[in-house]
Amino acid sequence: MSMLTNPTIVFLQFMNSISLGMNLFIIAAGLTLIFGVLRVINFAHGVFFMFGAYVCYSVVSRMAETAGAFWLGVLAAGAALAVIAFIIERGLLHYLYDKEHLMQLLFTFAIVLIMGDLAKMIWGTDQYSVPKPEGLKGAVDFSFGADLAMPLLYPAYPLMLCVLGPVVAIGMWLVLSKTRWGRVIRAATQDREMLAALGMNVPLVYTAVFVAGSALAGIGGALAAPRVAVSPGMDVTIIVECFIIVIIGGLGSLWGSFLGALILGFVNSFGIMIFPNWELVLSYVLMLLVLLWRPWGLFGQPEADGH
Amino acid sequence: MKRFVTSFAAAGLTLAAGYGAASADEIKIGVLYPTSGGGAIYGGPAMQGHDLAVEEINAAGGANGVKVVTVARDSKLNPAAAAAAAKELITKEGVNVLIGGLASSVGLAISEVARQEKVIYIATIPKSIKITREKLHPYVFRTASNTDFEGDALAQMVKRVDGKKICDVQLDYAYGHDLADGFIKALPSHAPDAEVVLTLRPKLGATDFNAYVTQIMGSGCDTVVSGLWGNHFVNLAKQGAPFGLFNQVTYISGGEIASHEIAGKMGADYPDNVVSNTYELWYHSPTEAHKKFQARLAKKAGTEETAMWPMLAYNGVMFYRAAVEKAGGTDAEKVIEALRGLTIETPVGPLTINAEDHQANTGQFWGPMKKQAGRKYRMMDPVTYIPPPGE
Repeated sequence: MSMLTNPTIVFLQFMNSISLGMNLFIIAAGLTLIFGVLRVINFAHGVFFMFGAYVCYSVVSRMAETAGAFWLGVLAAGAALAVIAFIIERGLLHYLYDKEHLMQLLFTFAIVLIMGDLAKMIWGTDQYSVPKPEGLKGAVDFSFGADLAMPLLYPAYPLMLCVLGPVVAIGMWLVLSKTRWGRVIRAATQDREMLAALGMNVPLVYTAVFVAGSALAGIGGALAAPRVAVSPGMDVTIIVECFIIVIIGGLGSLWGSFLGALILGFVNSFGIMIFPNWELVLSYVLMLLVLLWRPWGLFGQPEADGH
Repeated sequence: MKRFVTSFAAAGLTLAAGYGAASADEIKIGVLYPTSGGGAIYGGPAMQGHDLAVEEINAAGGANGVKVVTVARDSKLNPAAAAAAAKELITKEGVNVLIGGLASSVGLAISEVARQEKVIYIATIPKSIKITREKLHPYVFRTASNTDFEGDALAQMVKRVDGKKICDVQLDYAYGHDLADGFIKALPSHAPDAEVVLTLRPKLGATDFNAYVTQIMGSGCDTVVSGLWGNHFVNLAKQGAPFGLFNQVTYISGGEIASHEIAGKMGADYPDNVVSNTYELWYHSPTEAHKKFQARLAKKAGTEETAMWPMLAYNGVMFYRAAVEKAGGTDAEKVIEALRGLTIETPVGPLTINAEDHQANTGQFWGPMKKQAGRKYRMMDPVTYIPPPGE
């Protein structure tokens, strides 16, 4: 308990909350975007994340250790997932939009199993390590010359994530609210029949959104790679966390996911300080409370009756 | 209706044929390791060791002159799935013995099936002390180490590094809790002036450890005692190093993070000041038998730098073979009698299964992980064998 009165620790945990939340947000944003437009709950989002991490590893391990190699890996992960998502959407998912939700759920679950096995065939069952990019290996000193009992160092890599998360959020918000494409996408979430009647190519909108959302999962995986072991099974944890985030924030809401991710970050970091024995259930309890109070999530809309 | 009855009868016959499938001309081993999902990192190599043992036995004319066959099932890291697979192996495949398991929770689940079905189960990897204590029954045996042995070794290491203020960091499930109990029990006798100043229990499968690192560093402890295995350790190390965690503390760990599969894959990311354990090291041969075993394994695995898990699976099969030969057959009651007190030569020396608690006296290698000239990864240096307490 005494740690709560130690300002250094509280500051570090505050930073931990944000960096964890922002890494999760970048991944969950894609999930919520896809649900908002396609109304498909994409279980495969976690396995897309895992593929992103593996692709990043493959790129980095084939290049000399330069700062550029990692960022190239991040871009390659986004691009690879965009291509995979395009094939999945055009070739398969495309035919399931008018089917019941259960079919879609089973389909995305099948993708999880197939891609999980594919990953094992390509990369084996070993765990891999992606080094942090040059320039972000060290830590940033926040003590500003003050003489503190415990150094106020925060590692540069998670600090970068604290900045990158809001950049992605604002970028997505700008695209969705200020551009023509954004208006079309928002219209598709409201009434796709009307959009089609107005002559818009709705299937193209769906493809674009699925590709963009999946690319975000790939990028999120690549960004997570320097912090965690890249290995089979890393998809399972992340998909559960993403669902908690979008359920807290409201399915389909961008700012809901942003807030949900931050809340989950804070619950994780401060939860273990205050309730060390309850860490396992805290995030689930939180989700349950939100569901009881607002079943549609903090920023979500109550499901209107279809017409 | 008639057709229905016929097909029903046919199904019944098939089932009946399924039972009693274990015939005198072969010995069926039901083997359970996780071969999909996150556990595949360990289950894959374990299966290599298992297969190597079965191949060697058959090349030498079988066990007690009878050919050995393997029926493998994916135990996942899920006790319910493993229990269902174990039941199926017994009732449908009619296996003579169950061998394997990885997670302690899975080992306990398989053991329960073995008790109900009266089939021998040899736990080759799960370490929870409960398997050979509270939940001990006539049909379960363990060739792995256990959390009491490992906890005692952790306390010895605290003494060796002269740790005073301890952060007790263990995973929040059967293995972590039992290892913590074993360590706390042994600490006063090895390092009476050491005290635990912080207790943390990250969840199984946790990937974000920043918050734990902050807690550890804020507590002022000089030594972390842990059992975060596999990727848990990889993640903690990668996230903790930039904070300076490994400059502040000596990190003593069970969970075999000194094994080459961890050190080799982590390369330069493996942190300073780690003291840990492993069952086996490809670069350290305590016996001639180990050199030969390692050479055969290297051929099978396609690399000289082999993993630690195969030997555990290998030893489990070899114990069963020896017991069948001593008992003169696969009759469960006779094999149980044969296993109790049985000694076999293994790649790491002779091991004996205790007749009372069915636990083999499997020790482990312990030591600091040091950088090596000309290598991209760390190696244990020096290597010390720590036998179980009382040996």
